Amino acid sequence: MPSLLLPHADIKAWLDRLGTDGELHAPLRGRDGAVRFDVVQQGVIPDLQALRSLLPPKKYLLPPNDTVLRYTQADGYHLPLQATTRLILLGLHPCDLAAIAYLDRQFFGDQPDPIYAARRQRLTLIGSSCRPDAYCSCHLSPSPLPAACDLFLHQTATGFLLMPETPRGSAICQATADLLRDYEPKPPPSPRDHFGVAMPPPPQTELDPRLPDWQELANHCLGCGACSLACPTCSCFELLEFGGLDGRTAERLLRWDNCLFKGHAEVAGGHSFQKDRAQRFRYRYRHKYRGYGPLQGVPSCVGCGRCRVQCPAGLDLRPLAERLEKGAP
Amino acid sequence: MTTSTTPLPARIKAIRQLSGDTSLFTLQLLKQSPTQQTTPARFQPGQFLQLSVAGVGEAPISYCGLPSVNGSIELCIRKAGRVTTALHSAVVGDGVAVRGPFGHGFPLEQYTGTNLLLVAGGLGMAPLRSLLLALLQRRSCFGALTLLYGAKAPDALLFRHELADLATRKDLSIRLAVDRAGACPPGIPSCSVALLPDLLEGLEIVPQRTAVPLCGPSAAYRSLIPPLLALGIPPERIHLSLERRMQCGTGVCGHCAVGTLLCCIDGPVFAYSALQAIEGAL
Repeated sequence: MPSLLLPHADIKAWLDRLGTDGELHAPLRGRDGAVRFDVVQQGVIPDLQALRSLLPPKKYLLPPNDTVLRYTQADGYHLPLQATTRLILLGLHPCDLAAIAYLDRQFFGDQPDPIYAARRQRLTLIGSSCRPDAYCSCHLSPSPLPAACDLFLHQTATGFLLMPETPRGSAICQATADLLRDYEPKPPPSPRDHFGVAMPPPPQTELDPRLPDWQELANHCLGCGACSLACPTCSCFELLEFGGLDGRTAERLLRWDNCLFKGHAEVAGGHSFQKDRAQRFRYRYRHKYRGYGPLQGVPSCVGCGRCRVQCPAGLDLRPLAERLEKGAP
Repeated sequence: MTTSTTPLPARIKAIRQLSGDTSLFTLQLLKQSPTQQTTPARFQPGQFLQLSVAGVGEAPISYCGLPSVNGSIELCIRKAGRVTTALHSAVVGDGVAVRGPFGHGFPLEQYTGTNLLLVAGGLGMAPLRSLLLALLQRRSCFGALTLLYGAKAPDALLFRHELADLATRKDLSIRLAVDRAGACPPGIPSCSVALLPDLLEGLEIVPQRTAVPLCGPSAAYRSLIPPLLALGIPPERIHLSLERRMQCGTGVCGHCAVGTLLCCIDGPVFAYSALQAIEGAL
């Protein structure tokens, strides 16, 4: 079957057509130069060349502040009503798609999270190819995560090759068939080729706290938490409860938390299980490169490079990971 | 609505003060959970639930009593943080909410036919009471049963009247210790002024046929585990319950990792052999 090509000249018309099927969100470059996923107004062409948005697409699945329960004296706790508007996320690079695959595995575990499930259900994912820069480490990433999406756009000199992966993706191609052309040359690479090269699984030995690297990293870290905010798979959250002034209602709020913050592992009475910054670094490291709980052995670093770009102290766990994880049998 | 994410309403049925800062709360579930198989009132000793006080928040609490079919739940709670402080100012009849059960409890099925040495330090008596009651319910299934329990002072011993009653049983041996003698309220069963590990001295233990369920603060684990290992108890037969900041209970909030294990779903009860190599586990 020939591939489908969307010529550059028709992209505007194609985007307008997409927007009729749901609210279209894509990377847009703001006046401050930063790239953010936001709603695409008619006639605006998103920046599909941009490598990384300021905040990763996790904000659509796990907003930074989110009401997860409401309480009334009469009915007790109940889930809030969810918006059901369909969202089309366009311009997700393979690392961001892999990150969504990771969050899916986390939140659709044994007990699927109802709020996450509702948010995920309304998303249509459209990936797009990219050209990694010096901050990217997707090609080194040992992640076994798929870069799954509904439709993948492979950028070529003349336009975008459309590669549907799900019925939803095929439906988009059918609905916009009049704008697409057959493309005969050699078949386009699979999106998976842009993401990750298989590496041996991480060793299951404990991390050695005596390694001087931990303290060195901890000495330079400012503890600002930007790396976790920018990470597409960092999903630590805390639950806060706010009572209404009427004394009869309350709201439970989910707020992004950060494993590099001191209070992250604190329990009632003030004792913390991760008192030292070096300990907190290892906590983060385990999640990023070894995975925990049901996702043990599934590294959550997808190599997007956001943490390295954002860190004001220029810290990078990656070289350490390469040293520690490469010795695997 | 699911039992794992949405707390179910319950009412405080009874409050019994056990020590200066700790009380036994008996809750009554007001609704059965929508999925009948799981209800917060049916659990394995060692598991925990999440207790909500509306407008204040939620805290993980270990079960302290026996599973029930009528929706009654016993929780032994110390006034320690925001939620438990609010709870301690509540009165009988007040509403709370619960979700659970969560995590893995003590491996009761492994205990059949073995001798059991239960060791509790301080508030660690709460989950071990749940285990002790479950063991006594099927007493004939287990070998020799011993409870060692240490508290700071005589008036900090939890369930002392119950323990005094249990001490008269011939099929259960109880040894109590307090760090300092202090004021002695009435009804205290006989106890030594000693540290918890001192109670191990002179115990007759068949290491290969004994399992040790352990519950207490980290300091108790650090001081108890070496002598237990020295007695020849295999690390995989020492089962201990860890305290961590378990917020969601379902393994997604990211707060309670111990190495690459998650306390809320892989624990809170772990075999010591699973924790041995993990930095900062105890």
